[in-house]
Amino acid sequence: MTNRPNQTPPLFARKVFEWWSKKADTEDLLGDIDEYFQYNLEEKGKLKAQIIYFKQVISLSFSYALLKRKRSASFSGYYSTNSIAMIKNYFKIALRNFSKHKLFTSINILGLALGMSICLLALSMFVSIYKFDEFHTKKDRIYQVNTHIETTSDRTLFASTFNSVGEYMAEKYPFIEQVVKIKEGFRPEIKHRGNLLNFSGYYADPAFFEVFTFPLISGDPVNALSKPFSVVITKSVAETLYKNENPIGKVLETNYGSFNVTGVIDDLKQTHFYFEVLTSYQTYEQINPSLRLSNDWVNYRNNYVYLLLKPDTKEQALRESLAQVATRASEFNPEQTITLQSNPLPEMTPQWIISNGLGVGWDLPTMLIFMAVGFLILLPAVFNYTNLSIARALKRAKEIGIRKVVGAEKNQIKTQFIVETIILCLLALIGSIFIFSLIRKEFLNMIMGAASLDISLTVPLIIVFILFALFIGGLSGLFPALYFSRLNPIDTLKGEIKNRSGSISGMRKGLFVFQFFLSLFFIIGVGAIAKQYTYVFSYNHGFDSDNVLAVPFQNIDKQVVLNEFAAHPNVKSITTSSNLPGLRLPIIVEVTPNEKDTLSVNQVFIGEDFIENLHMNLVWGESANDIQSTQNEEPVLVNEQFMRSVAVFEGERDSLLFTLSDGTRCRIAGILEDFNFEPLNELINPLVFRYSLEESNYALLTINSTDIKKTIDDLDLIWTDIDQKANFEATFLDDEIEDAYSFLVNQIQIFGFLSVLAITISCLGLLGMVSYTTENRTKEIAIRKIMGASNKSLYYTLTKDFLKMIMISALIAIPCSYVFYDMILLTMLLQYGQGLGILEVFLSITFLFLIGFSAIYWQTSKVAHANPAGNLRYE
Amino acid sequence: MKGYLGEFEELVLLTIANLGKDAYGLALLRDINERANRNLSIGAMHSTLTRLEEKGYITSYLGEPTKERGGRRKRYFELTSTAIEGLNDMKSLRDELWANTKVKLSL
Repeated sequence: MTNRPNQTPPLFARKVFEWWSKKADTEDLLGDIDEYFQYNLEEKGKLKAQIIYFKQVISLSFSYALLKRKRSASFSGYYSTNSIAMIKNYFKIALRNFSKHKLFTSINILGLALGMSICLLALSMFVSIYKFDEFHTKKDRIYQVNTHIETTSDRTLFASTFNSVGEYMAEKYPFIEQVVKIKEGFRPEIKHRGNLLNFSGYYADPAFFEVFTFPLISGDPVNALSKPFSVVITKSVAETLYKNENPIGKVLETNYGSFNVTGVIDDLKQTHFYFEVLTSYQTYEQINPSLRLSNDWVNYRNNYVYLLLKPDTKEQALRESLAQVATRASEFNPEQTITLQSNPLPEMTPQWIISNGLGVGWDLPTMLIFMAVGFLILLPAVFNYTNLSIARALKRAKEIGIRKVVGAEKNQIKTQFIVETIILCLLALIGSIFIFSLIRKEFLNMIMGAASLDISLTVPLIIVFILFALFIGGLSGLFPALYFSRLNPIDTLKGEIKNRSGSISGMRKGLFVFQFFLSLFFIIGVGAIAKQYTYVFSYNHGFDSDNVLAVPFQNIDKQVVLNEFAAHPNVKSITTSSNLPGLRLPIIVEVTPNEKDTLSVNQVFIGEDFIENLHMNLVWGESANDIQSTQNEEPVLVNEQFMRSVAVFEGERDSLLFTLSDGTRCRIAGILEDFNFEPLNELINPLVFRYSLEESNYALLTINSTDIKKTIDDLDLIWTDIDQKANFEATFLDDEIEDAYSFLVNQIQIFGFLSVLAITISCLGLLGMVSYTTENRTKEIAIRKIMGASNKSLYYTLTKDFLKMIMISALIAIPCSYVFYDMILLTMLLQYGQGLGILEVFLSITFLFLIGFSAIYWQTSKVAHANPAGNLRYE
Repeated sequence: MKGYLGEFEELVLLTIANLGKDAYGLALLRDINERANRNLSIGAMHSTLTRLEEKGYITSYLGEPTKERGGRRKRYFELTSTAIEGLNDMKSLRDELWANTKVKLSL
């Protein structure tokens, strides 16, 4: 074979290889494959040699040898050896920049601090919930038994378990030290000084205080729950009931019977339990003697079992025993697949999804939604930073150019910007923690059950905050870092940036529109809820609540009180009722209109003149003041809804007659126009008014007086004359009704707060953007002015971009918020509300526009009024 | 001892010792392919060499520009004292095992 030295290997493969290896030193590698090619050319011919050459290139491309060389080539020596000095330098530059651009720094710190404060709240709640139940000394050995039930149609995990599981396991498995059964649903109505107070709590086994670490302030932990009808109350309940008295040994009169107070514990903090009163499990058994709980393998709701295992018990043993119990439970429920699981106490909160959980139920989805809302407020602040950093690119670009010329690499520029942002975020964090501690208390009051959360500033919490600030710093610094590191040094030194710094790029437009969209969304929300609030008070409930004083009078001679009060000159008229109109109605009775079907209706007992005093309208008949109840028929009043519901059972007989579940036969004497006896978020239900002074709880006095306070004092005196033991309390019906709508006030506060944050942040951003873009166009404006542009046309050129963007955001926000508020939120809050009106939307938008325009005007007028000659010499 | 010496690594080290002053990538590859009847690629060869260098068994230096490679230089490899020690350890371990066999190993 002849020697052909001029044969070259495939050029294409070599080019690919050279491109692939980038800066790596591949001289010897290329030499080796070339030489191998020559050798193969002689031995095996051209085609084979070329194929082998390709193969070798591929094998080298993915070999460790090349990888290592590439890696070492990409590190420059002085970057890796001198990083501490560089970081120091970044710090210095960052601080200098902050102090040089005060507007930029303050806008961003303020915005980020406001935005982060909500996130800090969410985070602190997160941290607090994760630390639930960690104070129990035996927490590592306590497990809750959960039940997983699978039927053909669905599968659900319940926190509760079968009634019998507790006792069954306690008997059968020796490794269990203690079993605590807890039943949810102890809701005593305590009669206290003439008032009814409602509390909620659990029925619990005597071992409760042995297994869980809830130290008793007073009382004996071992025997506190050992007897039926004994009750342990929390400190705040003790203070409401027995101020400055020792509650131990006191008797509570409730709708369940009399209870002995056997202990007082501190208010619950940092635990998944949520109760005010705790009674013994035996109480439940005594109240419901017909239930055979220890043999009940069917009902699993509201019944919780906690196991305390003996020390050093293997998880395996527990798992096996639960499997056995589950098999037994399956025998009773053949159509369900039942599995039992154990859940260690510290891991019980928060949970992803569990049904029938005990306590407030801090589940992860709700927390994540809250976190998302916080993030939604924070995002505009992050966008501000991104937008403003790039808007002032013209100023920073020269610095970056020189850095690059001197030898800074892309990575270094990136690190510089990220470090700068992180420092800014840490500064904002300080402000944010300040805001956080200001709003913390207010905020917790707004959330139901949040009183048991402990969100004081602790070291772990602060560490979480700092990590969060670092994360936000990285996030907001990312885009500016990428942008600046890509700048071409030659262009920047010439003073031109190819990114049209005069106008606003597409992405920044998008961010800007999003900010204003959010602000509008929240602002419309405030308007919508505020409208409902005023609507509720101007709304005619169907009765007159002006100047009506409500006096609860359960424990006093009612007839005497009525007579004495009526004698007072300022009391125009007086009546009684069992429930205050405008508030929720708890009493429901069954009504039989035709001796066959039953119907649930609300029942209210009223006194004479109730209809007249509250100016209610009758559609038919008359108020039954003068009709005496005969022996077999009681005269009652009903509302129109009642008649409609009864009409379904079309009675051929007397349609005005019906029977109550207790056997009382009633004759309808009058029909009232439908009115909202309950708050507007409740549907109008069928309603029966019965006349009874005995059952009435409130005296309703219509007052006609110029000196209200004196009248009330007089009434108090009259009251004390009649009976000194009972307390006199008087409230105006209007105030009571207003209290019933306090949930709306809560919503307004939350939305108001969020919208103030969102608006402030977006307006800060707007201010910054306008000031930087006008600054960048200073020369242009000066030339326009010299050429004869009027002030008006200058304003137009400067503001039209922003105008357009605010318009776009309004166009997106209006339909979105309409759908959200009108269809979802408001119907959830108030069923008889008015929905979202055009006026609120219009007002909200005008409000935002006004704020936006004043920000724009403030900045543009500076440039427009400046002397153009001076501006041309600018820079 | 630094790291553990694999069978192939031992083979490469011994081949470097065999080639002496002429131990560069391709020469090693061809020598091993012929002697041990393997079909190695250049990539695998160089990866092993890089690893050996990391472990401190060999050092490398660039030679003079060569005409047959279009003026490119060859990278030559040399054994370090660690490698010599390691090879000796390996050999004495083998010798010991061969000497103590209870089964007849010779063919």
